[in-house]
Amino acid sequence: MNQDKLALDVQSVSKMFGRRQILTDISFTLRTGEFLLIVGPNGAGKTTLLKILATLLSPGSGDAFVSGFSVKKNPTKVRERIGFISHNHLLYRDLTTYENLKFYGEMYGVKDLDARIDELLNMVELNHRRYDTVRNFSRGMFQRLAIARALLHKPEIMFLDEPHTGLDPHAVDILDGMMRDMSSTTTFVMVTHHIESTLSLGTQALILDEGKIQYCSDTGIDLERFRSIYGKVCGRGIEHDCD
Amino acid sequence: MTAIRQGWAILRKDLLLEMRSKEVFTSQFLFVVMAMVIFYFAFSPNIKNLTTVGAGMLWVAITFTSLLGLNRSFVHEKDEECLDGLLLCPVDRATIFAAKFIGNFFFLTTLEVIAVPIFAFFFLTGTFLPNLGWFLLILLLGNVGICGVGTLLATISMNTRARDLLLPVLFLPVMVPVIIPMVLATNYIFTQGESMSELSVWLYTMAIFDIMYVVAGYVLYDFVIGD
Repeated sequence: MNQDKLALDVQSVSKMFGRRQILTDISFTLRTGEFLLIVGPNGAGKTTLLKILATLLSPGSGDAFVSGFSVKKNPTKVRERIGFISHNHLLYRDLTTYENLKFYGEMYGVKDLDARIDELLNMVELNHRRYDTVRNFSRGMFQRLAIARALLHKPEIMFLDEPHTGLDPHAVDILDGMMRDMSSTTTFVMVTHHIESTLSLGTQALILDEGKIQYCSDTGIDLERFRSIYGKVCGRGIEHDCD
Repeated sequence: MTAIRQGWAILRKDLLLEMRSKEVFTSQFLFVVMAMVIFYFAFSPNIKNLTTVGAGMLWVAITFTSLLGLNRSFVHEKDEECLDGLLLCPVDRATIFAAKFIGNFFFLTTLEVIAVPIFAFFFLTGTFLPNLGWFLLILLLGNVGICGVGTLLATISMNTRARDLLLPVLFLPVMVPVIIPMVLATNYIFTQGESMSELSVWLYTMAIFDIMYVVAGYVLYDFVIGD
């Protein structure tokens, strides 16, 4: 993988909802294969930024380039290259495990889809539930299936919005294992409140507060500076989650 | 080919969800039958030939029944924010519109296959049967107009808190240019009108507005379904 290639190039992105300024002049870059942690208090604009990068929201001004494609001008090209996991699992409750993955696989045009579904269901340990409707799944099972859904098309960049929320320890192990296994081939951007447990995964970090960047690493996380700014923004030390 | 594959995937998913839940069809069927029964008992004591008021009653029943289906056509997408999952896929927004439009059209037409014979039993004599082909054409043109504009407006109202109220408020005024020719053309068929040129005027009017509504939905859907 070309580590010098930019996976993300965010250029002066701002966003307003009505009269409320959510993001102000956000600019940063991320190289391919890196793992960016985005942290900040509630209402800082983290999820809005992630949704803009994932083309679910349009930037009010500025632009962002994902794998070289503009989220404004080439959103379909961006969508082909990204995977998205959030605390909502984005699955249809009245479809079975297999039908959910089959639907999303067809939408992404995944080749040899049945084999890919088998592979992913084995990875998230849900193969024994493949013909069950997902309505009665536990939170952890939903999230494991959501991981499989997001990985179907082998995305180059994964966006994760508080993916650990509500997970049981087993699901956390599967998620963290997946991220470690893919870290050599995939770029990750993760919004999280669980900073202490995820700091070991991150190679870069961004602290947002009131829609503005307070800290943005470039050549690795300067832990001392990060702790200091994180403490000021969240009013607590890094050992506490910022929520 | 990609758009056809994706559109078919969305359509098949919607059909599967409806076959499993039967939420929309059951409520629509009950509503349309109840409307016809109430109309029958309200009008039959006073009006000797119910055919003369049949066209109005038929389209009132179908239009309001269609609102139930249109309002529910995005309920599975809102559930667990599946709409975000759909929007994250590399699919042209116009393809989503086309799939949703075809789905709504299919559900409404299926309902009419059952509801119209019941309506005919209550309200019609056999005199319209020589013009059955024209009557079916009116039903299909009416369905295209209802589902074209309805799919677009249901998407707009989906993201509002008062979506059950907003859809009829938006839908009914916009549908007037199609509803009026639908009723007049159907009335012509039921009452054995004299001049074919009169019928063709209403059919052309419906067809023109159908095309306008479907094209508008296809073109505007990207703006409507985005943020």
